[in-house]
Amino acid sequence: MNALKKIFGGDIRQFGMIFALVALIVFFQIMTGGITLTPENVISLFNGNSYILILAIGMVLVIIAGHIDLSVGSVAAFVGIAVALAMRDWGFPSWMGVVYGLLLGALVGAWQGFWVAKVGIPAFIVTLAGMLLFRGLNQLLGKSNSVPVPGDFQNIGAGYLPEIGPDTGYNNLTLLLGIVAIVAIVWGELRRRKASIALGAEVEETWVMVTRLVLICGALLYATYLFATGRPGTSFPISGIILAALVLVYGFISSRTVIGRHVYAVGGNKHAAELSGVQAKRVDFLVMMNMSILAGLAGMIFVARSTASGPFDGVGWELDAIAAVFIGGAAVSGGVGTVMGSIVGGLVMAVLNNGLQLLGVGSDWTQIFKGLVLLAAVAFDVYNKSQGKPSIIGLLLKNFQKTPEPQAA
Amino acid sequence: MRMFGKAGKAAAVAAIAALALTGCGRAETGSAASGGASGATGFAKDSLIGVALPQKTSENWVLAEKLFNDGLSGAGFKADVQFANGGVSDQQNQITSMITKGAKVIVVGAIDGSQLGTQLKQAKDAGAVVIAYDRLVKNTNAVDYYVAYDNFKVGELQGQALLDGMKAKKPSGPYNVELFAGSPDDANAKVFFDGAMSVLQPKIDDGTLKVVSGQKTFEQAVTQGWKAENAQKRMDTILAGNYGSATLDGVLSPNDTLARAIITSVKAAGKPIPVVTGQDSEVESVKSIMAGEQYSTINKDTRKLVEHAIQMVQDLQSGKTPEINDDKSYNNGVKVVPAFLLPPVIVTKANVGTAYAGDPVLGPITQGK
Amino acid sequence: MSETTTAPTILEMRSITKEFPGVKALSEVNLLVKVGEVHAICGENGAGKSTLMKVLSGVYPFGSYQGDIVYQNEVQQFRDIRASEAAGIVIIHQELALIPELSIMENIFLGNEPTRFGVINWAEARRRSIDLLARVGLAEDPDTPIKEIGVGKQQLVEIAKALNKSVKLLILDEPTAALNENDSQHLLDLLLGLKGKGITSIMISHKLNEIEQISDSITIIRDGKSIETLDVKGDGVDEDRIIRGMVGRSLESRFPDHTPAIGETFFEVKDWTVAHPQVEDRMVCKGSEFFVRRGEIVGFAGLMGAGRTELARSLFGRSYGRYISGHIIKDGKEITLKTVRQAIDHGLGYVTEDRKALGLNLLDDIKTTTVAANLKGVSKHFVVNEDQEFQVAEDYRKSLRTKTPTVEEGVAKLSGGNQQKVVLAKWMFTDPDLLILDEPTRGIDVGAKYEIYGIIQKLAAQGKGVIVISSELPELLGLSDRIYTIFEGSITGVLDKAEADQENLMKLMTAKRQAA
Repeated sequence: MNALKKIFGGDIRQFGMIFALVALIVFFQIMTGGITLTPENVISLFNGNSYILILAIGMVLVIIAGHIDLSVGSVAAFVGIAVALAMRDWGFPSWMGVVYGLLLGALVGAWQGFWVAKVGIPAFIVTLAGMLLFRGLNQLLGKSNSVPVPGDFQNIGAGYLPEIGPDTGYNNLTLLLGIVAIVAIVWGELRRRKASIALGAEVEETWVMVTRLVLICGALLYATYLFATGRPGTSFPISGIILAALVLVYGFISSRTVIGRHVYAVGGNKHAAELSGVQAKRVDFLVMMNMSILAGLAGMIFVARSTASGPFDGVGWELDAIAAVFIGGAAVSGGVGTVMGSIVGGLVMAVLNNGLQLLGVGSDWTQIFKGLVLLAAVAFDVYNKSQGKPSIIGLLLKNFQKTPEPQAA
Repeated sequence: MRMFGKAGKAAAVAAIAALALTGCGRAETGSAASGGASGATGFAKDSLIGVALPQKTSENWVLAEKLFNDGLSGAGFKADVQFANGGVSDQQNQITSMITKGAKVIVVGAIDGSQLGTQLKQAKDAGAVVIAYDRLVKNTNAVDYYVAYDNFKVGELQGQALLDGMKAKKPSGPYNVELFAGSPDDANAKVFFDGAMSVLQPKIDDGTLKVVSGQKTFEQAVTQGWKAENAQKRMDTILAGNYGSATLDGVLSPNDTLARAIITSVKAAGKPIPVVTGQDSEVESVKSIMAGEQYSTINKDTRKLVEHAIQMVQDLQSGKTPEINDDKSYNNGVKVVPAFLLPPVIVTKANVGTAYAGDPVLGPITQGK
Repeated sequence: MSETTTAPTILEMRSITKEFPGVKALSEVNLLVKVGEVHAICGENGAGKSTLMKVLSGVYPFGSYQGDIVYQNEVQQFRDIRASEAAGIVIIHQELALIPELSIMENIFLGNEPTRFGVINWAEARRRSIDLLARVGLAEDPDTPIKEIGVGKQQLVEIAKALNKSVKLLILDEPTAALNENDSQHLLDLLLGLKGKGITSIMISHKLNEIEQISDSITIIRDGKSIETLDVKGDGVDEDRIIRGMVGRSLESRFPDHTPAIGETFFEVKDWTVAHPQVEDRMVCKGSEFFVRRGEIVGFAGLMGAGRTELARSLFGRSYGRYISGHIIKDGKEITLKTVRQAIDHGLGYVTEDRKALGLNLLDDIKTTTVAANLKGVSKHFVVNEDQEFQVAEDYRKSLRTKTPTVEEGVAKLSGGNQQKVVLAKWMFTDPDLLILDEPTRGIDVGAKYEIYGIIQKLAAQGKGVIVISSELPELLGLSDRIYTIFEGSITGVLDKAEADQENLMKLMTAKRQAA
């Protein structure tokens, strides 16, 4: 017990969410007779949830800044149909379709950011309007019909790392990616330790660090193994690579850059931030715009996976993304939350969904369970805070700031 | 343990090596092992059969769930029947879960027939046979069979019933009518509408029928998501805008849920109830027909459809090729899907007693009168 | 109610001990209050005054503390606030418990509505509230919404609310902290009036002059222990005596030694006119002109609402009001400061009067706060160097002697004085030429005040200009080299340290009455 405390830095409950995730996986692995942790299932878990997790990345920034975005599902659907039509009717090649979609997302975001930041209408209202507006535009453009997308575009939602090099019985690129991730983590940890020693800050015992590294690397290695041994033709999905890259980039932006600090500052106390020289309106504008760009990307990934863009794409996504962010420890009042926490929160929901489906539980019960989990996770966090203990997430944040762990396996 | 850098790298390399040595790489079983459509081989009698149904929006789907569960279990299979109340993405994930669990046949009642390509390809790659149930799956070659009622015929029957009903009330035209269609993302909706219009269009052209609102095209007549509230709202608007003095004689409604919503709207507006068609033989609508409100419905007995779908599964299990009766009508954009079509039956107050004679739910209701 | 000297006791708290997980907030505290007196409780922030009052009023219920509360000769076991209120003990907190949208009358009777058959009897309520308002000397219509009257009047409404509950023992926690001189005086007079009617008061306050003025006895609490109880009249108590008890030693001087080294003028403001942000034709600054020299500490005196904060914030990147006209000249050149960012870049810094609402992100830790106004100073290509950030925060922690286990501690957990040091560190790290301090010692106890004065003087000694805005005239007189006075948005005068005293400052601060 003591050892565990040392490895994870203090109270075990601090890591509640990660443990919950691991426990959930183990539970379903046993209950489903071992088909949860098969290459096929893990791959489809990623494929089927990457777009929600991408939304959660944008949403956590919006929520940290003290806003909310209800329009993400509709924006995703709007961008999806616009891109599908551009490729079908205007003959855009796939890469241009993606660029067009991101630009369109930026445009939508600028529109919403304008109303929130410049005019000062609460984001709840602006995006509620956007939810209707962009859903309507989707159905108008698509004439309420589905529009198919070409095969090579489908790769961003349903493609995999290709097979390259000698036949090792594994997907070679996936193996490479896993090893790179592991080396990066080990290297990062050592560098940080060195810096701490140089600053004269407290340093943990060697064995603590080694054990933690072994655990993290072990998990990564196992994930690599799963992804590398899927059915031939499948491996680590392209959407997973996009997600991993976004987690790294946004994790870094939120915790280590000036703009990231400004987002937290505006969410924590807008007046204080403004009187410290932070341009709060610019921050509001940027987080709203960024959210819509990511929503556009999520929409395209979903369309690619579905092979067509439909009139009901993205219905209810905003709620999934918001739930992931709050399970991941963000505060409704703003100023608190992390990218990594939200991803963990999103994965908890995804694993729950997947596991219950594997068990053949209907979607009625699945929704009931998901609702209870959301309530329980946030209640646990609130209880912990009222007890004067640091929030789980606060500590998750701290530890993940130190360990920008790539999602890539 | 002092040289962390080396230790770390060594650990990673060693672990990878261990993986390689144990030789537990992927099994080269090959994906094209058992061809789906040919179904020559068959499979174990207690295999898992997945049934992915859309949202629980009408009584028929709820009934289908029970029938599939009972029927498949009765035949010795393991059944996994799921509703996708969360929308397309929910259904996609349910289908992949069925594949993961090793389903041999997946029966799909699609929410949006064009958005399941990736998942059905996965199913195909994993060696499962895909049967499209009630709604055709489009733009993929990973669908093996289609089982449904003849939907064009349904439309024709509805169109004819509308004409007959109005004629019975008022011997000669012109008649004022309004048109309703189903949800545009359901491939059947257009087929119903086209079937009905094949009967009604000539009458519109010769002036017998007059669509007062002017909303004659499929796009104008759609009811998003097959939702009653949408149909009711549209009817409210049409009545308020066009029927201040004019009388509404008939409404083409694609199904019972919408038919009842339309009747509710007309009643609320204080107008006499026009001739309204329907489909699905829902309990409430059958009662409504007996009470003289809704004019007609279509009996597409869900029991027979499910029965036939299960029959197909049993044929596949024993290695036989399932029976089909149409191999050219249903082109899904990539291939012509072999189909088995069941004939629909029109039901009005005149034949309501006989039409449901054998039905355990509707039978007693109609006989009790 | 005729007894004055040998009055019976109304309340005795005997060896009260209250522990929180890991902290002993109160240890064997004794308090003895006589009927009909005004009893002051003094102590530094965090000494345990508020905790003691929460024990008394039942916020911390019986059983959660050790010791006895004897009230009106009976041992009491209050389970909650309602129980203590039923016994006639009413506490008025620092943050007023009034609802801004409701009327005075509705607030007075909130939770205690006069009813007939379960229906509120508004006629009765109105009659009684008119009576109550007269008793506290508040001439307002009972239907006026609370948000439309000032803090001073709101305080009176709180007292009316207490009187309505037939209070016997009234507890006031920092009642005058947010009030101006006039309102404070009115409140103190009211307390004396209530005393005459036999109502006993316990008052917690940092304002020693007020305590000296109205209280009969003073209990001093330090580090969770009751140190002594002084009889104001009998013991010849003065402010220095109280301070000695509070800090445990005598402070020879309330201000550190400082020899000003004043250079040439480097910052000048001319014809500065600013309109209220909402009310178009109301000017909050009217053609203000002033200057600051290097190494100089300039005081700004004015009554509450005179426009001191408005002037400071409008200069600081127009963060308040609407700019009408005016020029800012710095180092001989005219500069335009349209945003806070520009103001900071031009070497201005502003420490707000409202630390919690405007100055701090209470979710942040010390190191993040320290660098918040100058992230450029610890970042390269927009990426924050966390090692450097830690180092900067650590340096300021040491040089300002901030009391905290580590710079990774949340600022919310710090005492007021230490929070103010972190805010000062934040602005010192921007290396400003001119630092504007708005009420820099509000809510800060005596010991920490002394340290903050020292920091201000050190900044001046480095050649920076410092503007200090304060409601406490002794503070301005002790600290400033020159003092401007403001009245209703206009600068009404300027006095050198040598010629300024409370009397002539007060005259200039109420200039209109002089002129009239």
